[in-house]
Amino acid sequence: MIEARELTRTFGQTEAVSRLTFRVDKGDIVGFLGPNGAGKTTTLRMITGFLPPSAGDVVVGGRSAQEDSKAARRLIGYLPENNPLYEDLRVREYLAFRAELKGVPRRDRTRRIGEVLEACDALEVRDRLIGACSKGFRQRVGIADALLADPPVLILDEPTVGLDPAQIAQTRTLIKGLSRDHTVLLSTHILPEVEAICTRALILHRGRLLFDGSVEGLRKGLSGGQLTCTLRAARADAEACLAEIPGVTQVRTVMESGGETRLELETDPALDVREAVVRACAVRGLALLELAARQISLEEAFLSITTDEAAGEAVP
Amino acid sequence: MSGAWAIAKKELRSYFLAPLAYVVITAFLLLNGFFFYAILAVLSQPGASSASPMSLLFGGTVFFWVFLIVTVPVITMRLGAEELKSGTVETLLTAPVTDFEVVLGKFLGALSLYIAAWLPTGLYVWAVSVYSEVDPGPVLGGYLGTVLVGLFFLSVGIFTTFVSKNQVVAAILAFALLLLLLLLSLISYLITDPIWKEVFSYMDLYAAMQAFSRGMVDTRPVLYCLSGTAFFLALAYQALQTRRWR
Repeated sequence: MIEARELTRTFGQTEAVSRLTFRVDKGDIVGFLGPNGAGKTTTLRMITGFLPPSAGDVVVGGRSAQEDSKAARRLIGYLPENNPLYEDLRVREYLAFRAELKGVPRRDRTRRIGEVLEACDALEVRDRLIGACSKGFRQRVGIADALLADPPVLILDEPTVGLDPAQIAQTRTLIKGLSRDHTVLLSTHILPEVEAICTRALILHRGRLLFDGSVEGLRKGLSGGQLTCTLRAARADAEACLAEIPGVTQVRTVMESGGETRLELETDPALDVREAVVRACAVRGLALLELAARQISLEEAFLSITTDEAAGEAVP
Repeated sequence: MSGAWAIAKKELRSYFLAPLAYVVITAFLLLNGFFFYAILAVLSQPGASSASPMSLLFGGTVFFWVFLIVTVPVITMRLGAEELKSGTVETLLTAPVTDFEVVLGKFLGALSLYIAAWLPTGLYVWAVSVYSEVDPGPVLGGYLGTVLVGLFFLSVGIFTTFVSKNQVVAAILAFALLLLLLLLSLISYLITDPIWKEVFSYMDLYAAMQAFSRGMVDTRPVLYCLSGTAFFLALAYQALQTRRWR
């Protein structure tokens, strides 16, 4: 549904987004991740046609966001960063204006406004001034606006920023529900959000794409090659036993107490050595109390990806 | 163009939701009403000129222009500046409307309020008609001129409001540009070179408005006002386009 080709945008001397190429397929719910200032908002603004790219192009539903901008924009429901709204209008007045602007036929408007407000659980603020709505309701009004014309693509820029934990949970449930019949691209710098909602993740850092793949893959790709295990054995015996296993490159003792030794193994990522570990322990007659592939959190994955990159850049 | 229409309706609604419309219209009518009373009082004195009160109201004096260059910036200053400042311009420009529809919509919204402010002055015509004969030519000419100059001036205001995020800056800039347009009206009186005198006489809004309010409709000032409107709306469109590059 969305295809970015060599998308680049410069502001003066700074290159905010650099040769970004990715695609979002129909029905995907993709998390766009990156630290603040990574170029997420700039990229979303180029997809929605708000900012023209300096080079490259982005195609939404087969329409170029530059050459056929109006048609491309028709396919997108967009919630901008900070969700700007007209404070002096009532919620229903605002949505009526937006519906007319988006070309929703006059006879469908009232029904459609009711539907989106219900979907976003915001019917009760229908007649309230937007300026008098709480942050949570404003956010829902923003999402309701994105849904108004029933666009196939939803682009949400930091949809949960500034909400309290209960509202965050509600908003996530709402977005997850929407992903059934929409293609969703949402940006965030909160990793659990991606874990909670998304099927795919794109990681952006300093305007460049560092990772493009499934959320599972993001975690697995980094956890591959690390095991932790606990043996009932003295430190020397345990280390000797494990170091012999083919595929194990390094053995480190983390803790030794009460006849138990806890160790971390670095292994060849291409091999699954777990079975070999169990056998080796059996052969030596050492009791294996615990064996686990080390679960890496998305935070760690993210930090590792972005800091590796930063370290790489420091080398001339 | 349906987008422009939607924006125009929303702007008119916003004017009347905020106190701005009421303040503008009330102040305008109070001052204009007092001014009209003064015209009638002067004309009723023995030995006064036989000028028609309506033609004095429309451009016969400097007050007409003072009203205009103050009211127009106040009407237009919010339209673009507020969108730029609050960031709502992003929702507006990512909706399926063209930048030109946005500019046109804002312009039509401002024009509706401008016309709404002038409408009650129709009562003056009625008041005069009770006591004396009213010649329809000067009245219609006066209103036509008021609308034409209004189009021109409002387009200047629409341009400045898309230049600055700050409403006050937008208003002051509009005020300065309108003052400049009035000064251009006077240049033809200062120049002796006949060719340039001719050129600048085309820009003489002051004389044009006096002609309108005597019921004389010349195509030259009509063209000047309309092309000026088109020029400043095109500038406003450019200003909005440039915003996308920043």
